Amino acid sequence: MTKTGRIFTLLLRLLASGATLAATIIMVTSHDSAEVLNLTFEAKYSNESTFKYFVIAEAVASGYSLIVLFISSKSLLRHLVMILDVVITTLLSSSVSAALAIAHVGKKGNSHAGWLPICGQVHKFCNQVTGALIAGFIAAIIYLVLLLYTLHTVYI
Amino acid sequence: MALETERKTEAIFNSTPARKQKDRILLLLRLVAFLATASATIVMALNKQTNTLVVATIGNNPIKANLTAKFQYTPAFVFFVVANGMASFHNCFILVLEIVGHRIDYKGLRLAIIAILDMLIVVLAAAGDGAAVFMAELGKNGNSHARWNKICDKFQTFCDHGTGALIASFIGLILLLIINIISIAKLFKPKSDITI
Repeated sequence: MTKTGRIFTLLLRLLASGATLAATIIMVTSHDSAEVLNLTFEAKYSNESTFKYFVIAEAVASGYSLIVLFISSKSLLRHLVMILDVVITTLLSSSVSAALAIAHVGKKGNSHAGWLPICGQVHKFCNQVTGALIAGFIAAIIYLVLLLYTLHTVYI
Repeated sequence: MALETERKTEAIFNSTPARKQKDRILLLLRLVAFLATASATIVMALNKQTNTLVVATIGNNPIKANLTAKFQYTPAFVFFVVANGMASFHNCFILVLEIVGHRIDYKGLRLAIIAILDMLIVVLAAAGDGAAVFMAELGKNGNSHARWNKICDKFQTFCDHGTGALIASFIGLILLLIINIISIAKLFKPKSDITI
C-alpha cells in the first residue's frame, strides 16, 4: 500500500473510532423523565433491549478501531484485520438499523398495534437518541468506505 | 512456446480435483443461502392474520372487531422483506454466473467484483435482520416502560410465521458471511494461483 493509502486508511479508522465512541457515550447518557397524570414516566436507554444492543455493538466497534490503529499494514495480521472489518461493519449496520426501527416506533407510534408515540413526553431523550443514531450511521458508512478502499488497494 | 507451457500450467491448475471440490462446496453453500433468503422473503411477505377481538364492553355487550396483522404495518418488516428479496436475487444471479458463465471475466477482476457485491449484500441483509428481530421482540414482550402492549398473544400464527422467516434469514446471512470470508481469503493469494 502506498504512503497516501496508509495515511488515508489511518484517518478513516480514527474517524470511525471517534464516531462509534460518540454514539456510545451519547446513547448511554440519554435520560429523561416526564410527569403525565401523576405518573412519572422515566425514559432511559436501558429500558429497551435494542438500545442496549446498540451501545454494546458501538462499544465493541470503538474498541476494535482503537486496537487496529496500531497494526501496521505490512504485518501478517492484515488479512485477519480485513476479515474482522467485514464482521464489524455487519455488526454496526445491524445495530443502527435495529435502533432506528425502534426509535421510529417511539417517534411515530404504530396505530395498528395500539402503540402510542412517546417522543412528545420525553423530548430530551428522543433528541439524544437521534444524535446517537446519526453518529452510528456515520460510523457505519465510514467503515463501509474503509472496507471497499482496503479491498481496492490490496487487490491492486 | 512459453505461452503454450503457460496455458498448459493454467489448465492443470484450473482442473485440480481439490480445487474443483472447493468450488463445488462454495456453490452448494450459496444454493442453500439462496433458498434460505428466498423462503424468508416469501414467508414474511405472505404473513397475515385476521382475528376477532373484544375491543370494549358496553354494559353487558362485548363489542367485537375484526383486527388484522399484516407485515406492511411495520416499516421494519417491509425493510426485512426488501432486503431479503435483494439478497436472494443476488444469490440467484451469482449462482447462475458460476454455473453457466464460468469464463466471463472483466480484466481479471471477476473474483474481486463478486467479493465486493457479497460484502454489500451481507451488510444490507444484516441491517434487515437486525431491525426485524428487535421489532419482533417488541411485539412478543411489549415494553412496560413505554406502555406498549405485546401483540403475540392475540396473533399467534403471525408471530410464528415471523419467527420462522427470521430464522431462515439468519441462516442465509451466516452462510453468506462464510462465503464472503472464503472469497476474500482467496483474493489474498498472489494472482497466478487464483482459479477463476
